[in-house]
Amino acid sequence: MWFVRFLSSSIGKKLIMATTGLLLLLFLCTHVAGNATIYMSSEVFQGYADELHSHPLIVIVFSTIFLLIFLAHIGMGLFLFYQNWQVSKSRYSVTTRVVKNTFSSETMPYTGLIILTFLIVHIFSFTFSSSEVPISVTVKEMLGGFFYGLFYIVSFIALAFHLNHGFWSMLQTFGMNHPRYNDAISKLTLILPLFFLIMFAGIPLYFMTGLGASY
Amino acid sequence: MELNSRVPSGPLADKWNNHKFSNKLVNPANRRKYKVIVVGTGLAGASASATLAEQGYEVQTFCIQDSPRRAHSIAAQGGINAAKNYQNDGDSVHRLFYDTIKGGDFRAREANVYRLAEVSNEIIDQCVAQGVPFAREYGGTLANRSFGGAQVSRTFYARGQTGQQLLLGAYSALSRQIHAGNVKMFNRREMMDIVLVDGKARGITVRDVMTGEIESYYADVVILATGGYGNAYFLSTNAMASNVTAAWRAHKKGAGFANPSFVQIHPTCIPVHGDYQSKLTLMSESLRNDGRVWVPKKGDDKRRPSEIPEEDRDYYLENKYPSFGNLVPRDVASRNAKEQCDEGKGVGNTGLAVYLDFADAIKRDGEDTILKKYGNLFQMYEKITDSNPVEEPMLIYPAVHYTMGGLWVDYDLMTTIPGLFAIGECNFSDHGANRLGASALMQGLADGYFIIATSVAHYLASNSLEEVLGSEAPFKDSIQEVEGRIDKLLQNSAGGPAGKLTVDEVHKELGRLLWDHCGMSREEKSLEKALEELPGIKKKFWDSVYIPGSGKDLNQSLERAGRVADFVEFAEIMIRDALAREESCGCHLRVESQTEEHEAKRDDENYTHVSVWEHISDVEAPKMHKEELKFEFVTPSQRSYK
Amino acid sequence: MSSINLTLKIWRQHNSDALGNLETYDLDDVHTDMSFLEMLDILNEKLTKEGKEPVAFDHDCREGICGMCGAVIDGIAHGPEKEVTLCQLHMRNFSNGDTIVIEPFRSRAFPVKKDLLVDRSALDRIIQSGGYVSINTGGTPDGNSLPIPSSNAELAMDAAACIGCGACVASCPNGAAMLFTSAKISQLALLPQGHAEKKQRALSMVAQMDEEGFGNCTNAKECEAVCPKGISIRNIARLNREYLFAALTEG
Ligand SMILES: Cc1cc2nc3c(=O)[nH]c(=O)nc-3n(C[C@H](O)[C@H](O)[C@H](O)COP(=O)(O)OP(=O)(O)OC[C@H]3O[C@@H](n4cnc5c(N)ncnc54)[C@H](O)[C@@H]3O)c2cc1C
Ligand code: HEM
Ligand code: SF4
Ligand code: FES
Repeated sequence: MWFVRFLSSSIGKKLIMATTGLLLLLFLCTHVAGNATIYMSSEVFQGYADELHSHPLIVIVFSTIFLLIFLAHIGMGLFLFYQNWQVSKSRYSVTTRVVKNTFSSETMPYTGLIILTFLIVHIFSFTFSSSEVPISVTVKEMLGGFFYGLFYIVSFIALAFHLNHGFWSMLQTFGMNHPRYNDAISKLTLILPLFFLIMFAGIPLYFMTGLGASY
Repeated sequence: MELNSRVPSGPLADKWNNHKFSNKLVNPANRRKYKVIVVGTGLAGASASATLAEQGYEVQTFCIQDSPRRAHSIAAQGGINAAKNYQNDGDSVHRLFYDTIKGGDFRAREANVYRLAEVSNEIIDQCVAQGVPFAREYGGTLANRSFGGAQVSRTFYARGQTGQQLLLGAYSALSRQIHAGNVKMFNRREMMDIVLVDGKARGITVRDVMTGEIESYYADVVILATGGYGNAYFLSTNAMASNVTAAWRAHKKGAGFANPSFVQIHPTCIPVHGDYQSKLTLMSESLRNDGRVWVPKKGDDKRRPSEIPEEDRDYYLENKYPSFGNLVPRDVASRNAKEQCDEGKGVGNTGLAVYLDFADAIKRDGEDTILKKYGNLFQMYEKITDSNPVEEPMLIYPAVHYTMGGLWVDYDLMTTIPGLFAIGECNFSDHGANRLGASALMQGLADGYFIIATSVAHYLASNSLEEVLGSEAPFKDSIQEVEGRIDKLLQNSAGGPAGKLTVDEVHKELGRLLWDHCGMSREEKSLEKALEELPGIKKKFWDSVYIPGSGKDLNQSLERAGRVADFVEFAEIMIRDALAREESCGCHLRVESQTEEHEAKRDDENYTHVSVWEHISDVEAPKMHKEELKFEFVTPSQRSYK
Repeated sequence: MSSINLTLKIWRQHNSDALGNLETYDLDDVHTDMSFLEMLDILNEKLTKEGKEPVAFDHDCREGICGMCGAVIDGIAHGPEKEVTLCQLHMRNFSNGDTIVIEPFRSRAFPVKKDLLVDRSALDRIIQSGGYVSINTGGTPDGNSLPIPSSNAELAMDAAACIGCGACVASCPNGAAMLFTSAKISQLALLPQGHAEKKQRALSMVAQMDEEGFGNCTNAKECEAVCPKGISIRNIARLNREYLFAALTEG
C-alpha cells in the first residue's frame, strides 16, 4: 500500500518526525499560553487549571492524541537514531565536523531523551498530583525547590537545543528552504527556542529567586 | 589494404539523405537477435549505446572507469557547435561545413564534414529534450557564444561545463537502457584485444581491472569509442586513463590508422611547474577574447610583470597578426608561444610560459564585468597556481590537447576491418589537420546519436554472419595472447626493483621525445633522430620496467604499463607519419615547408590525402597507403590570419 | 615554491574481505605546488622503488570534474579546502611536519575494494532507477520550442553540476545519499522536460536509494559543506517536497 511504502521510506520517516514535531510544537504553544497565567497571579492560574479540568472529555481526548503523537515522535526518533548509529559507528579513525552549529543537531536524540524524562516526572508530579492540594500550591512548592527547579531549567535548555535544530530541520524536511525566507527562518531558530526557554524556565526561576514569594 | 571511402554520390547536400535511403535496414523484430559491443562511454560511446539499445539491439558496453559517467568527455569546457543560426548572424549548415573543413586545413573528407554540420542541429534538440541545462537568454531561448575565433555565434554551452552536461545527458539515456535491460554495462574493464572470426570483428578481450580476470565477449558488431591518444606525450590535458590501446590493438589486427601525427596543441594551458607533474590543465580558449598575450622584449627579464613598462613588452600576436590579434587559431597561437620561449623570452620559473594579461580589459570594462565572464576560470587558475589573475597576468603555455588522427573509417564509420566501427575522437574522420573549438563534442554526439545506427543496420543487413558463441578458437587464442602479454609485462618483477625503472619514468622519457621532436614543429632531421631513439626506449621498457604486484589483482601499475607499452609502439607510426608528410598543414608544421613570413605552407599537389598506416608485423616497418581527398564543392585556399 | 616533510597515515586494505589498517609513511621534500594526488604519485613511485605495493586510489581527469577521486583527509572528505576535489587540493594547504590521515570514503553502500579505492556503483543505480527523461534519440522538438526562464536554467545547472563523487555520502554522519539524489531530482524538476515523469522519478529514485543501504538524512548539512561543487541542501528540501507530493498523489 502506498502509505506503508511511504512510511517505510527514509524520507517518509523523516516526514513523520517533522509532522509530529510540528504538532508537538503547536502543543507547546498552547501549553505556554496556559502557563503564562502563572505570571499573572495564583488565582488566574488556578482558574485556568480548574476550567481545564472541568471538561474531562476534552482533557482525555487531547491527552491521548498528544500521547500518540509523542509516542510516534519518540519511537521514530529512536528508530532513526538506532539506524544511523549502526551506519556511523567506527567509520573513520579521524572524524572532523565541518559544519559549526552541529551541537544541537548531533544531540537531538539526547536532548529528546532529557525532554522525555522531564515529561514523565512532570506528568507524575502535576497531572497525577493529589487533587486535594490546589495545583497552584503544588507548582509553587515543587518549583521553588532547588534541585527540582534546576532539573526543570536543564530540561528546558535541552528543549531549546532540540528546537534550535528541530525547527529549521522540520521546515527543511517539509521542503521549505528558499533564499528569500532563509534569513527569517534562521532568526526564528534562535527566537523560538529562546521564547520557550524564557517562558518555561522562567517559572522555576520565578519561584526559586523568590520573585514569586507572594504567590 | 583497400581504402574505399564509400562516399555516396550526388550533390553535397543530398548525400546523407540519399545514403540513409540506400542503406539497408534491419527489421525492428530482428534487431534483438543482434549483439553489439560498444567500447567506451564518452559522448560517442554512451550516445551510441543508448541509441542502439533503444532501437532494439542487444548492447554490451565497456569502460575503464568505475562508472560510465566518468569518461574523459566530462572535462570539455567550452561548448558545442551547431548551425542553428538562432542568432540570425548568417550561419548555416553550409557555413559550419565550410568553417570546419577550412579549419582542418582541407585535409578532411567533404562528405563527412557536411554530414556533421547537417546533423549538428538535431544534436542540440536531442540534448535539450534530455534536460541538458544549456545557458539561456532572459527570454528563455538558448544562448550562444562565439568560440575559437568563429565569426558567428554558434556555440551552445552550459557554463564552463558543457562536456560534463552533454555527457551526463548521454549517460542518463544510457542509464535508462541499462535499467530496461537493453544494455549490459561492464565497468572497470579495459579492452586488450579485438577478436576476428573470418576476418570480421566478432568480439573483444578485456581485462577486469578489479580482479585481473581476462574475459572475452562476442557480438555481431564491435564499435570502438575509446577517445584520443594525447597521453602518448605523458603530459597532456587528457584524463589519466586516456590511451591508444584499444585503437592500437585493432590496428595490429588490420585496422588502418589515419594521420597519426595530427595532434592539436592547445595554446592556453597552465604551464608545467615541476617534474612531478602528472597532467596539464586547460584554461578555456575564451580567455583570449579579453586577455592580451605578451612577453618581455628582452630575454631573461627578471622584473615582475607589473614593473615591465609598455615599451619593453612584446604583444607578439597583435603585432604579427593585426586583424586577428590574440584570436588567431589554436595552432598559430601555440606555435608563436613556443617561438618566443625558444628565443629565450619565456617567463615564469621555467622560462616556458607567456603572459595572458587582463589588466587592460579590467581597466576598460571594470573588474566586475571581467570576473562575471571569467570568474570561475580565474578561481580555478588561482587554486592551482596560487596567483590571482586580476593582480598578475596569467602564465600560459601550449599543451597537447586533442588528436585528429585515429582509426581510418569510411563514410559509414567502419574501419578497414569489416564489422569494426570507430566513432568519436578515436576515428580520424572530420577534423582534418586541425580541429575547431567546440567541434569535438559535436562530432562525438553526431556519430553516436545519429550516424552509427544506420551504418550498423546496413552492415548487419548486407552481411550474413555465421553464429559464434565466444568459445571458438579465435577467442581462446586472443585470451591466451593477452595473458601472454601480461606475463611479459611482469617478467622483470621477480628480480625486485633494484636497478629497475618505474612505468612513469619510461613514459616521461617517451613523452619528452615526442614533445621535442614531434610536437609543435617538426623537422626531418629531428624526426629521424626520434625514430632512431625510439627503439632504445622500447628496449628500456621491456628490459627494465619493474611492476609491483601481480596480474591477478587490481594493479594500477600494470594497467599503466600496458598502455605505455602500446604508446611506445604507436609512437613509431606517429613519427613516421610526421616524416612522410613533407608539407605544413593545420597543426602539423614542417619547418621545411613555410612561407617567407614563417607561416605554414600547404602542398596541395602532393599531400591532398589521408595517410593511412598498415601494420605489417612487429619486426617490419609499417606501410603507408593514401586516400586521395577530392574537393568538389570547396576550393582549398591558403589559410591566412594576417 | 617550497618543500615540506610529511608523515602520512594511509588506510591499506588488500581487498574487500581483508582487514585493513592505517600504515605510516614518511615523505620528504613535497613541493607545495603539488596537488594531493601528485603527492600520492610520488609516494607510490617511492614505494615501488622500495619493492612495496603502491597505494591504490581512483582518479582520472585530475581537474575536479570526473568525480573519480576522493578520500577522507584528516576526517574531511576531499580535504580541508572548500569546494575542491582531492585532485585539486594542493599541498600548500599543509605545513611542514604535518601528519595527514588518509582514509577511503566509507559508507555501507560503498564497499572498500582496495586501499583508498571504493565501489560507488550504488550511485549509478540510483540514476538508473529514474534519473533521466524517457525519450529516445531522434524526433525531438526544436531546442527553442520550449522557452525556459534563465533563472530556472541556472538553478537546474547548479544542481546538474554534481560530479557523483560520493563525498556527500562519505561525510554524512548517517551515510545518506540525499544530496546526490536531490541534485538529479532538482535538475529535472526545475526544467519542463522533466515534468512528465517527476512523480515516478522521485518515488523510484528514493526507493533505490533506500535499497542500496544509504542512511537517513538528519539535516546535519555536512554534505553541503564538503561538496566540491557547492551543491546546496536546498535541493534536498526540493527532493523532500517532490517526494511528499508524489507519495500523496501518485497511483
Ligand atoms: C580539457 C579538454 C577540454 C575540451 N573542451 C572541448 C570543448 O569545449 N568543445 C569540444 O568540442 N571539445 C572539447 N574537447 C575535446 C573533447 O572533449 C573530446 O574530443 C571528446 O570528448 C572525445 O569523446 P569520445 O567519446 O570520443 O571519447 P572519451 O570521452 O575520451 O571516452 C573514451 C571512453 O573509452 C573508454 N576507453 C578508452 N580506452 C579503453 C579501453 N582500452 N578499454 C575499455 N574502454 C576504454 C574510456 O573508459 C571512456 O569511457 C576538450 C578536451 C579536453 C581534454
Ligand atoms: C515537546 C517536545 C518535542 C518537540 C516540540 C519536538 C520537536 C521536534 C522537531 C520539530 C523535530 C524536527 C523534525 C525534523 O527533523 O523534520 C524533532 C526531531 C527529533 N526529535 Fe523531537 N521534539 C520533542 C520531543 C522529543 C522527544 C521526547 C524525543 C525523544 C527521543 C525526540 C527526539 C527527536 C529526534 C531524535 C529528532 C531528530 C530526528 C532527525 O533529525 O532525523 N523529540 N523534534
Ligand atoms: S552532491 Fe556534491 S559531494 Fe555529493 S556526489 Fe555530487 S558533487 Fe559529490
Ligand atoms: S580526478 Fe577527476 S575529479 Fe578528481
